[in-house]
Amino acid sequence: MENANIYVQLIGIPYNITSKFQVGGIFPFKFITPNGTQTTGGFSDMIVFAKYQLYKKDETAKTFRVLANIKQSFPTGKTTSVPPIGSGIYQTYIGLIIGKISTDVGVYGDFGYNITSNKTTDNFLYNFSIGIPLLPQKYPQKQINSYLEFNGNYLINSKIHTFFISPGLQFIPGRRILFETSFQIPVLHENVTTNKTNYMVLLGTRFLLN
Amino acid sequence: MKAKFGHTHIFSLVILALTICFSISTNAQTVNNQERIYVKIEIKGMACPFCAFGMEKELKEVAGVENVEIELKAGLAYISTPIKQKPTKKSIEKIITDAGFTVGKIEYSSKPFTIKESQNN
Repeated sequence: MENANIYVQLIGIPYNITSKFQVGGIFPFKFITPNGTQTTGGFSDMIVFAKYQLYKKDETAKTFRVLANIKQSFPTGKTTSVPPIGSGIYQTYIGLIIGKISTDVGVYGDFGYNITSNKTTDNFLYNFSIGIPLLPQKYPQKQINSYLEFNGNYLINSKIHTFFISPGLQFIPGRRILFETSFQIPVLHENVTTNKTNYMVLLGTRFLLN
Repeated sequence: MKAKFGHTHIFSLVILALTICFSISTNAQTVNNQERIYVKIEIKGMACPFCAFGMEKELKEVAGVENVEIELKAGLAYISTPIKQKPTKKSIEKIITDAGFTVGKIEYSSKPFTIKESQNN
């Protein structure tokens, strides 16, 4: 698909069972507007997740944490529309999250294996990001962070490997709200024959409702 | 005679009202300055503003707490409560641990602590 605008509204509801164990659901609403055609939109694939903290080392204004991350995606999004809103498959993701955050720098890694249904190829996903605050960190926040994100995806059967690099900026004007923007550029497009991505401009906002 | 009695009565009421007002204002000062306990809590692992927001919300749930001040770089939180509702170290430790952080030193004082970071909202 060429030159499309995609709007995704995610509603995430986390619940802490203990201080180490969190479960939750992600309910995405997706709207796709390809150039020159009508918008298709609706409720996309629902995800339930569980995160368990395997390791934690806390110090003054810094922390290092390792978490096991399991996600189950359900094909609740419609696939009859063009373009489709849902994937039409069940997906089970098993991965690790590693984060080292201080008030001077944040480093975050997330990688795992995604098992798919319906004879679709499984994939290995890996994400890495580094964030640096441009203003002194304080609370309540009025903060600008620069970050560099790397997103990789390797489809096991078809051996398709994509790797993107995304420089971005985050603006945090208050306690509950965050604005972010990034520019995603493909670095690697191995064995990709259709739907190559030239670039993506991402604009986002996050609200903490509670 | 009737009029004279009325004036005396009004004068007495004014004096009584002034006395009540004065005594209320004196009591308010006493409560604010002498009957509050100030608590400084060292919180390890609180490294980002959203972590601080989560911590602030939890500490506001402590009985008697009206305001929470946080020094992010120093990893400190400050609360105060009426002295009768003084939170125990154990109860504070539980709040911090349940929020996913590690507790350091907890200090109590009868006077407010000096906060270094500015709290410009």
